[in-house]
Amino acid sequence: MSVLSRRMGARLAVCAAVLLLGLGAQAAPKTFEYPASLAPKLSGLSPDERAFIGDAAKLESFGLTPERLSIEFEARDAAEVKAYVAGLLSVVEESRFHEGDLGELPLNPEASSFNGGTVLRPAILDERTRDPGPISLQRYLHQRTGIPTFANAPVAVRKEDLVAGKIEVAFVGVPLDMSSGYRDAKHAPTTLRVTDGLVGSDVDAQVDPTLVLRIADYGNLSVDNMSIERTIGHVRFMIADMVSTGAVPFIVGGDRALTYPDVAGVVDTLGKGKVALVSFSPHPDAIADFDHELVDAIAVGRVLSEGLVEGKNLVQIGLRGPQAKAADLRRLADQGVRYHTMAEVEKSGWESVMSKALKEVTGGAEGVFISFDMSVLDPGDAPGVGRPVPGGLTMREATPLVRRLCAETRIVGFEMLDIAPIMDPTYKTAMNANRIMNACLSGIALRKEGLTKPGYLSPVSLGAKR
Amino acid sequence: MALRKKTLAGVLLASVAMLLAGVAAQSQGLPPISGRDVTNAVEPVTIPEDLQAKLSVLPKEKLDIIRSGRTSRYVRPERMFAKLRTISGPQMIAYIDAILSVTDAGEYKAGRDKPTISLNTKSPQFNAWKVLRPQTMNPKREAGPLELGKYIGGFGGGGIPTFANAPPALTYADLVAGKVDVAIVGAPLDMGSGWRDALHGPVLLRATGGAGGNDMYSMINPNTELKIVDFGDIAMDNLSTERSVRHVREVVRDIAKTGAIPIVIGGDHSLEYPNLAGITDVHGKGNVGVVHFDSHYDIGRDRVHLIDHGQPVYRVISEGHVPGKNYVQVGLRARGPDAKTFQWMRDQGMRYHTMVDVERRGWDAVMKDAVAEAKVSAKKLWISFDIDVLDPAFMPATGTPVPGGLTMREAQPIMRRLCAENDIAGIDIVEYAPYLDTSYKTALNTNFLLNACLSGIAMRKKGLTQEHYLSPISSMDRPAATAPPPPPPPKPATATKALPPAKGTRR
Repeated sequence: MSVLSRRMGARLAVCAAVLLLGLGAQAAPKTFEYPASLAPKLSGLSPDERAFIGDAAKLESFGLTPERLSIEFEARDAAEVKAYVAGLLSVVEESRFHEGDLGELPLNPEASSFNGGTVLRPAILDERTRDPGPISLQRYLHQRTGIPTFANAPVAVRKEDLVAGKIEVAFVGVPLDMSSGYRDAKHAPTTLRVTDGLVGSDVDAQVDPTLVLRIADYGNLSVDNMSIERTIGHVRFMIADMVSTGAVPFIVGGDRALTYPDVAGVVDTLGKGKVALVSFSPHPDAIADFDHELVDAIAVGRVLSEGLVEGKNLVQIGLRGPQAKAADLRRLADQGVRYHTMAEVEKSGWESVMSKALKEVTGGAEGVFISFDMSVLDPGDAPGVGRPVPGGLTMREATPLVRRLCAETRIVGFEMLDIAPIMDPTYKTAMNANRIMNACLSGIALRKEGLTKPGYLSPVSLGAKR
Repeated sequence: MALRKKTLAGVLLASVAMLLAGVAAQSQGLPPISGRDVTNAVEPVTIPEDLQAKLSVLPKEKLDIIRSGRTSRYVRPERMFAKLRTISGPQMIAYIDAILSVTDAGEYKAGRDKPTISLNTKSPQFNAWKVLRPQTMNPKREAGPLELGKYIGGFGGGGIPTFANAPPALTYADLVAGKVDVAIVGAPLDMGSGWRDALHGPVLLRATGGAGGNDMYSMINPNTELKIVDFGDIAMDNLSTERSVRHVREVVRDIAKTGAIPIVIGGDHSLEYPNLAGITDVHGKGNVGVVHFDSHYDIGRDRVHLIDHGQPVYRVISEGHVPGKNYVQVGLRARGPDAKTFQWMRDQGMRYHTMVDVERRGWDAVMKDAVAEAKVSAKKLWISFDIDVLDPAFMPATGTPVPGGLTMREAQPIMRRLCAENDIAGIDIVEYAPYLDTSYKTALNTNFLLNACLSGIAMRKKGLTQEHYLSPISSMDRPAATAPPPPPPPKPATATKALPPAKGTRR
């Protein structure tokens, strides 16, 4: 650890402080008294080193606790103990950015089509002219197969098509494939287009959103699957552009990183503070620190830290699994974020959690954006996802909440994220994802029909009095 | 990988040029490598006579851009001219302006476009992804490969899955102390353009059988003849190939410095670039030849990113790590290269054996040529093995499969032969995507190919380097009663030594 000798000293205190932030350790450091028998061995440590081994939060990233450390020290002499602690501190130092590290990743400006993927085709360059408006690709009047589109909807190529068709809901695929888990989200838009579940009414509401609402398939947005960073700007611009037509974007990812450009795009058009975010995911995705500008695990955190959505307007549902750490949850709570873990569902039951969440969302911001990370569902219902976590919601729990949110609040955007079709041999994940989106469409249709009574269900389906 | 749409005329023109210059080019000396992409060069456009008068109303600078050919990337000239014949006046001006505007938007423009991707250098975790675990945290031990076997007999391993059932080594000091011949290291880079999941390639190949143990063709067990270790995985930043490959280069270089042969298990094929950069850091530029098995040519360039799994060959050759004349490709059959790129390959002096060549001459003839070319190319040989060179019947679990590939019975002998008949600098085996491998046959076949090479390296260590050596014990039937007895095996003692199930032998 030559770096240690070179760079220790004054920097250490700074680094240690920064590391504390890095680990998101807001908790008061736990104090631990090392056994008196170790005192002679520890006497050679500097005050910084002594403080470091007394801080459980700092030791955590080494997979160490003070208790474990005292066992390690027992087997070592004083010099070895000193070297051990110096080794830990050198890791802190080496983890930082240093002069000469690659802080800017080079691209190839000589590439003949540097921005080629994201240049939109002007109508004047079309081979043949046509009037603006959504185009149905169905050959027959009643057809279930053929060229697949989201919800069998007609295709809108350009913004003018959305405007001319007075489109209320525009589906768009964003095949970003950079999940930190199993990667295959790039195939999700195509897979959801070719699988059933998105069209028609359900028995609960007895409303057919594909009839009530004007829906279009806006195709896919161009992404750079070698760099999230290079993808953010275009997605953000295109979503903002879609929202400016009055259409509600239904974004089919792509991985969870999209939450940031998706929400940012909606907010760019509607205004900061005007949008509430309901996040369905086992992952808070708000870890404190990262070396890249964006990745799934920090997407929600960035929405907050940039003030796109106020903490009080963020509700997280379904948290569980190892990413939902106490330090991160505390930090979210400090910003006014409301979260509902599966632990809460286990204790209070889904009905109670659902009504609490609905109450928190309604009457807040003007519009609501729903981010639905498919892994919020149990892997039994959704095996084909990038970051599965057992013990999740069932379809029977998630569907009514989504329908109610979409009926009882004003939806300004919806995203369906992190589906990995390759992990979905039975296509049930795809079908369930389509059903979840259908539930939201139903809700929006109910709202349009004026059926916004809390928890509305069709009287016919409930077996109303004959 | 990337498919470049060409006009028919362009392809024809290039084909004719290739026919004229092609055969001669292969025997010529190496032309200086420009470092620039050949497909980046735009072809000037001539405005047809019948349109010249009509277009003369346009400003000269606009016409110049069209004449330069830059706009041809967005609207094909013949299509543009056909349209221009049908429109005039403001419509024509708007049409031209639209073409110029998409051209401008598509090209890099300083000040408007960012030529780099910024990282968060303020992060205290900036380098955490590749920071080493201090060895002081482990119990004190003598340097050398670790012994994880729980039992003194049996099959070894002790339950912890490792490459080829080899013992793990953690540090370069372990490689030196253990006089390690071969260090197998995982490199879970997951940025491929097709189905991803190369991330899980190394762990799945450790967890499945097929590598390690007796090779019947040579009757050699590489685990007993060689000191092989599993050197763990190389750290990756799976949000950036650019960042990852720099670290891979360091690790490959440092393994080779110990004298061990690095075998890199991917991961996607971008790895070939840092592998060869790292190995030539040690052996010297130009001293390592390459045999590259792949269905794809991987000479992509003129892309926004400077490295991805379709570009490693371009980087390796254009940066001079391996001269084109020392580069042999086997198994090409994907959509690329186009005629222009074939020409570029010939200009570099590269040798290639496409599946078209196999269809024409048969595998034995192609293998003979490829092995012969590898032998004369340089002092040492690197094998870059993209498993999609095999037919998807054998390797369904790979990111970008292409039908019509090699069989295992074609690939195994050439791997064994190359590793026995050359001084191997190292190899990589890349592009295994386990989530597509429901039967695990891809893992089994990949591990068998690894073992074929390990056996070859072991054969060389024992001096069995003659052309296409096969063990007399396993390759011949008992002699007929009237026939003269077959020549005895070179060292009967050796053959029997390999027989008892040694530590590391798989069931």
